Amino acid sequence: MHLDHRPFPKDKKVMLMHTCLCDAFFDDVAKATVEVLEYLGCDIEWPENQTCCGQPAFNSGDWASSRQVVRHAVKVFEGQKPVVIPSGSCAAMMFHGALLQFEKENDYDKVEALANRSWELSDYIFNALNIKKWPGKLNAKIAFHRSCHSRGTPSGQASQSLLESIEGIKVAAFGEEEQCCGFGGTFSVTFPFVSSQMGHQKLDMIEKSHPDFLVSGDMGCLLHLGGIIDKDKIKLPIRHISQVLRDSLKNGGLL
Amino acid sequence: MAQKIDVFAKKLTDEVRHSVHNASSLKTMSRVDALWRDFEDPDAMRILAGELKQHVIENLDTYLPQAEAALQKNGVKVYWATDAQEACQTVLDIMVKNNCKRMVKSKTMVSEEIELVHFLEKHGMESLETDLGEFIVQIDHDHPSHIVTPIIHKNRRQVAESFQREGIGEYNETPEVIVAQARKFLRDKYFKADVGLTGANFLSAESGRIVLNTNEGNSRFCLAAPRIHIALVGIEKIVPTDKDLSILLNLLARSATGQKLTVYTEFIKGAKLATRPEGPEEMHLVFIDNGRTKVLASECREILRCIRCGACLNVCPVYRQASGHAYRSVYPGPVGAVLSPLLAQDDFPEMADLPKASSLCGACHEVCPVNIPIPDLLLRLRDRAKREKIKTDGSPPMEPFAMLASHPLVWKTAMQAGKALDFLPVSSVPGGPVKAWTTVRDLPQWKGGSFRSWIKKRQKNRRSEEKP
Amino acid sequence: MSSRDLILNSVKAALAPLPQRAAHPGYDKLKIVSKNFSPQQDLWVSFQENFSKVHGMSFTTFVELKNFLLSQKSRLGYCDPALTDVFAALNPELTFETAFDRNKESEYSFGITRATGAIAETGSLIFEDATTSSRLGSLAPWIHIACVKRGDLIDTIPTALSRISDDPNIIWVTGPSKTADIEGILVEGAHGPGIQICFLLP
Repeated sequence: MHLDHRPFPKDKKVMLMHTCLCDAFFDDVAKATVEVLEYLGCDIEWPENQTCCGQPAFNSGDWASSRQVVRHAVKVFEGQKPVVIPSGSCAAMMFHGALLQFEKENDYDKVEALANRSWELSDYIFNALNIKKWPGKLNAKIAFHRSCHSRGTPSGQASQSLLESIEGIKVAAFGEEEQCCGFGGTFSVTFPFVSSQMGHQKLDMIEKSHPDFLVSGDMGCLLHLGGIIDKDKIKLPIRHISQVLRDSLKNGGLL
Repeated sequence: MAQKIDVFAKKLTDEVRHSVHNASSLKTMSRVDALWRDFEDPDAMRILAGELKQHVIENLDTYLPQAEAALQKNGVKVYWATDAQEACQTVLDIMVKNNCKRMVKSKTMVSEEIELVHFLEKHGMESLETDLGEFIVQIDHDHPSHIVTPIIHKNRRQVAESFQREGIGEYNETPEVIVAQARKFLRDKYFKADVGLTGANFLSAESGRIVLNTNEGNSRFCLAAPRIHIALVGIEKIVPTDKDLSILLNLLARSATGQKLTVYTEFIKGAKLATRPEGPEEMHLVFIDNGRTKVLASECREILRCIRCGACLNVCPVYRQASGHAYRSVYPGPVGAVLSPLLAQDDFPEMADLPKASSLCGACHEVCPVNIPIPDLLLRLRDRAKREKIKTDGSPPMEPFAMLASHPLVWKTAMQAGKALDFLPVSSVPGGPVKAWTTVRDLPQWKGGSFRSWIKKRQKNRRSEEKP
Repeated sequence: MSSRDLILNSVKAALAPLPQRAAHPGYDKLKIVSKNFSPQQDLWVSFQENFSKVHGMSFTTFVELKNFLLSQKSRLGYCDPALTDVFAALNPELTFETAFDRNKESEYSFGITRATGAIAETGSLIFEDATTSSRLGSLAPWIHIACVKRGDLIDTIPTALSRISDDPNIIWVTGPSKTADIEGILVEGAHGPGIQICFLLP
């Protein structure tokens, strides 16, 4: 994914896409995202009519339905400000997936304009705002699962670097890090056996490094791995990167 | 309802699953070790090789005639086959014309694609596989489960049993002994054969040379003992110049197994020199289309860059769980999930479930030596299946979701009321997706509307604080 | 219409909608040469290192070679008639036949033929039809000895390709034959030689 052409934001006025999974389940992740961005001095515009990025339909191949949702997003996020998204997969949908399905559409330019303003959270913090060291502290050994939609984007490196820079945090390596966790959206229910195998194998690898908790930048991965953790009663709390960043600030008396 | 490939994966024995998984994992690590040990920027090389192959396929109208002219200048007899039937018939005609009855063949996936051996045997010809894995597949009347390591799904006991059954050797599970038994058995066959059949890993349009990459020595034997050489070449195998081969040769073996080069890299330009005692007296080359021009016309033409290294299979988490046979085709794994439905042409609906066998993780794209954007191609095929109204089991209808997600008032209400769960795609998979989800994982507590009210309040407080 | 025309027409039709065709990416050959290859090092030294990494064996004296062959219980082998004088030191314990007899194939424990060169970067020998007196002699016996002259050593793959001759059958041999088809276990000596030797001619 070529993201180098995205213009660097001139100021800290942003729009927030809080994602449908945060809407439904992970409210604290969205809250932490707001707290972190405001700590950094961002002025957040939150369009209340936002719904979803359209990815579920896109991945299913129902591009007509997905385009309907993306068009709504284009309307809702109209403007010039960068759109910050606490999700690798939703961000990738905006700057890559949407472009594929609008190739033959008349409003391609509008979708492209939004694509060029879409930033995954850690990419925005690390690269757009140029924050290389995260303040505060948090004593913990963590396993960081870089979600697949971050492949080929600056997000994986950005997240890893931010986490490693926190005083007290140790990021533990684990085996077969490049393997997918098995969520894949509807894949998780249309390929239940394979998805389950993948999730269990991922957790086996992670558990071998004995982390205090599992961190990821994608709620899809956390929904799936967290769900297995709960069902199998594995002792491994899950966190989104925004929560770790916020907790580090809180713990350091900065929030 | 779970998809076919998932059902297949579930039925695999633990033994097969572990064999496939371990072998794949090992090859994946070997690839990384070899590439990063030997080159400054392997990813830049992959991207370069991808651009090179894309250039070739987008200029096949120039390169094919150029390659043909070079081949003919070298004295090679060139044929063109539009489909599998014609390709098989062409090979048979060459054999009949030259009084050939026995063929020994080197490993070539395109020959499996056109089902050549079956055709030849039906017409009274003997055609024997010489690559060890393919030989075992043949005597077992089985199918290969990987394009590079065909019997990744078998263990030594099974092979020893097969060898004993076929009279190739006494039952012995030791790999060295099995290989020695195959060596001895095939020796005689090479000498008795009239024709040696190969594929081609690459074909240089500049010199007309074909390149063969093998490890066992079987392809050399196919070109040392028999008197006729027939090469089958997919029309996409072309490389512009001999110089261009250096980048692809550096990537191929490392991507496949972690070797710098395969043990034997053969550059074949034509029949043997007249003064030499051994080798083919004639070389024939058959260009095969069999659906490739349709792929070229489609929006997935990048898949024609593929150099058949198998790296995508090795890294694919779905392949590792399901194994090659799950894909019901000559080409399994990520490359197969794109290529097989397309080569199926009018039978596309039969194979339309293959592109769905992916979590779109992108690992295949990352390891591909010619940088094929496989996940994008899988998505395009999913789009095609939807537009052509092909019912691939378990595809959730997305219209309700689209309706919900483009009407914010309805969305917000649903979120608030907790009813959204019924509208999210997860719920619309027939067979109870929530149930499908919860057999494996728990769902977290429903928090619909919670963030919205929190942020509304926060922003309202902000605004009132800012008021003078 | 011939199949050739059908196919070429299909190709043309498939490519017609493209607004432009992808260009050939030109590139610098340095990017694609192994970073471990030191151009300053003696080519024979580099070749030996890389050849031994793929389990090839190198010899520079007839004594070493003879002792090795005897240790492998060799007696009879195929030898390129042009090399019988060169390798006279191996006689009388080891004897040669200069015409490869298929009926005696199992009796040849070794084969001696010429290589036209070798690639140091990868540890590969180069065989060509013009200088390989018998394809089977270089392939069928368990032990193969390829003779190469110092002056014929080549540094890298790009160089080898830039100098590639018009010979109809050029083979880069990078070690002994092998297979890992059985459970991924490496077995050396499949259909080709199980022992691949490079002999540096004086």
